[in-house]
Amino acid sequence: MCIGLNKTLLMRYIALIFTALLMAGSSLAQTFKVPPYQKFKLKNGLTVYLMEQHEVPLINVSTVFDAGAVQDGNRYGLANMSADALLFGSSKYTKSQLEEKTEYVGASIDTYAGKEVAKLSASFAVKDQDLLFDIIQDVMTKPTFDQAEFDKYKQRQLLQLTQQKESPRSVVNSYFNQFMYAGHPYANPLTGTPTAVSAVAAGDARQFYQKNYTTDRAAIAIVGDFNTAAMKKRITDLFGSWKTASATSPALTEPSLSFAGSRVLLVNKDDARETTFLIGGKGIRQSSPDFIPVTVVNTILGGRFTSWLNDALRVNSGLTYGAGSRFGTYRQSGTFAISTFTKVSTTTQAIDMALQVLDSLHRTGIDEKTLTSAKNYVKADFPPRYESATELANLLTDMFSLGFDESFINNFQKNVDGLTVARTRQIIDQYFPKNNLQFVLIGKADTIRDKVKKYGTITEKEIKTDGF
Amino acid sequence: MNKRIGLLAGLTLSLSVVLAQNKPKPEDVQTFTLKNGMKFMVLEDHSIPNANFYSFWKVGSRNEVHGITGLSHFFEHMMFNGAKKYGPKQFDRVMEANGGSNNAYTTENTTVYTDWFQSGALETIFDLEGDRIRDLAIDSAMVESERGVVLSERSTGLENSNYRVISELVQSVAFVEHPYMFPVIGFESDIKKWTQADLETYFKTYYSPNNAVAVVVGDVTPAQVKKFAEQYLETIPAQKLPDSLRTVEPAQNGERRATTYKDVATPNILLAYHTPATKHPDYYALDLLSGILSTGNSSRLVKSLVLDSTIASRVSANVELSFDPSLFSIYAIAASGISAEQLEKSVLNQVNKVINDGITDVELQKLKNQKLMEFYRTMETINGKANSLGTYELYFGDYRKLYEAPSLYEKVTKEAIQRVAKTYLTARNRTVGYLLPEPKTNPARNN
Repeated sequence: MCIGLNKTLLMRYIALIFTALLMAGSSLAQTFKVPPYQKFKLKNGLTVYLMEQHEVPLINVSTVFDAGAVQDGNRYGLANMSADALLFGSSKYTKSQLEEKTEYVGASIDTYAGKEVAKLSASFAVKDQDLLFDIIQDVMTKPTFDQAEFDKYKQRQLLQLTQQKESPRSVVNSYFNQFMYAGHPYANPLTGTPTAVSAVAAGDARQFYQKNYTTDRAAIAIVGDFNTAAMKKRITDLFGSWKTASATSPALTEPSLSFAGSRVLLVNKDDARETTFLIGGKGIRQSSPDFIPVTVVNTILGGRFTSWLNDALRVNSGLTYGAGSRFGTYRQSGTFAISTFTKVSTTTQAIDMALQVLDSLHRTGIDEKTLTSAKNYVKADFPPRYESATELANLLTDMFSLGFDESFINNFQKNVDGLTVARTRQIIDQYFPKNNLQFVLIGKADTIRDKVKKYGTITEKEIKTDGF
Repeated sequence: MNKRIGLLAGLTLSLSVVLAQNKPKPEDVQTFTLKNGMKFMVLEDHSIPNANFYSFWKVGSRNEVHGITGLSHFFEHMMFNGAKKYGPKQFDRVMEANGGSNNAYTTENTTVYTDWFQSGALETIFDLEGDRIRDLAIDSAMVESERGVVLSERSTGLENSNYRVISELVQSVAFVEHPYMFPVIGFESDIKKWTQADLETYFKTYYSPNNAVAVVVGDVTPAQVKKFAEQYLETIPAQKLPDSLRTVEPAQNGERRATTYKDVATPNILLAYHTPATKHPDYYALDLLSGILSTGNSSRLVKSLVLDSTIASRVSANVELSFDPSLFSIYAIAASGISAEQLEKSVLNQVNKVINDGITDVELQKLKNQKLMEFYRTMETINGKANSLGTYELYFGDYRKLYEAPSLYEKVTKEAIQRVAKTYLTARNRTVGYLLPEPKTNPARNN
């Protein structure tokens, strides 16, 4: 019952989303470089990264596969369920045995699917490495997708899909994503919909695994307290003879994200005490050459506590606990969104104010002093993101899946510093949406409907309706 | 549930054995106390070019009374809203422009301020902290806008967290005398009516340097920290601290139950039992007991109620860190088609098994191993170190307890865990909260 109440819970939350997407894209302090590592490929195509870190006697593993929700087809939730089901048993271990053995030594193994990739990560003590590597190998190469475990899990998932709609904050991004990318695989809701999830069986997860967990588009990174030569032999022995299918899924096409006019998706939640909303438009893709300048400019608009959005909506007016903006990036596309919430009665006041702030970015641009402050902020914020071995292992598999190398990190500070005021004007004009904005609002529709008509063509949904 | 610092409490076990390589030891921490009574702990770590400054103030909602509930937390906000040298907004602006960021959190017991920065900004941080601790300006316009912020924070918590709803209810029933009955965020009516005088009095009473402990960890030296602490903080006068809290919660002598409703998919339940303060020797056994019940998929409650059957969709047990006797709680969310009563019965079955049959050697060793790994992960980062040192200093009375924790956990036996379960997890000592779906028809006649 000790609920910690934060000055800025939402800002941290926004910042987390923001950085998870940027990962390598924030700021670098003076001396921060990626520690040395070795990279090589096994004969089956699996890419291996090894980085020694001897600070504590731990080993961390991160593996990545091209097996995210964009591969779902119309079976929404399949990638997510397949990733979860990897831990439901393997050739040598039942699900319970996996959990008992792993937890007994205080180790962890987790799997998850994102929009584009799926990951398996593990952390364990050096002394337990024989056991844990054996488990990881068995789980990755010989999962059994136990039917009984899968069916129980499916029931839990179905309930979770209902429960997540009890919290507008946890679903507003899914509505926004669907609204922006309708018809494109990027719209696929990660955890699926009740109808789609009901139809998925253990065999579907197995097929998904066979098709998408392929060594030719996979990488494994090991970071921790080991000797590189010995670990190279170990990983080669463990995974060298692993045969999988070849990847067949084609690269995604770029969604257009051009909208003829402003639209409003109004999601009714009868018992809402506040309106939770996003306002957005087209953003940038992960590999955009302007990723860093966009990040710095967005820091000023909505990426930190003193950002213009938080200053206006929280500090000056007390309309909300927090307001911000973010660029969410995928390989082929990305969106921009302003994000906040306010009590029902101040809905339009808050939206109008957010729009004014965005407009002021376009009208007045950024001055030298503000830019310098943002650069310092972004640079100092960077090294703690790669402080632990777990974070470094994740960085290596992100480099693989997102297609960048350590020069991106090592040159980050230089590239942040290189941004000029003149260039920020071009960045704002080119990348920050101005017209035909897209609105997603979750709240009491009957109370706010008439007032929010002015923002664009309204589409309405009930929050309890299947999907997003 | 965010930021519950209980997470860091459970440090651990045989760490002296396994940390052979880089064995953390109390001598790594340099301490000094300023003339005004503000204590500092400094731990060098040059692995990244960053550092932090954590200040732990011994004030939280336990220091409040009706009419000013939520004031500790409100103060947490006001500490960012301007002082003498750095006016409104300047604290954040100057810090961010110098490569720093910050946050803060409030609990029933403490208010904690956290600054994170590139290490070159150390002096700026001390300047900013000194200004607000010495000369906080409680600007009335800022008070009004911040009131709106806190009302929004309260509202968004209740909107997005069912746990928040049920835990506030149970807290208000489990405590009938002690101020742990208050929600940290405060009552809505109090939030709307705090006066300028309330705020000024609160600041004078609790924000005295002798009521705080500071921790600095990272790319700094103890000499630098000491120099800046003397320069910017030592001249802030100490004040007489208020008398210690008088109210003692009497022993509970009979089960209490409370129910509330919300548009939720399935019932949520919260069972809470009175337990001693963190400094009590039973803390370690209670902490391990909570882990045996709900840490990981092989734990008793998760395995039996969530994974092997379809009784619950989620379950967790927790023992509070607290200055005064507090609560051991078990929170569970029912699976589809399961009533609150069925869920409660299933949870109690598991609790009773521990009481009647005890636990196994394997379970005990598992928990000890997990504590060790938790410890490593905490000590891997400068923020983990800073929060742990401050937490131990405040809740356990001495930061060195952090390093003694291994031997203290080592002493916990199966028998001790069974004993604390039997002693504290009794029906008479229990408060049960239900958060139920809104009745579909004629609510007046339901129950």
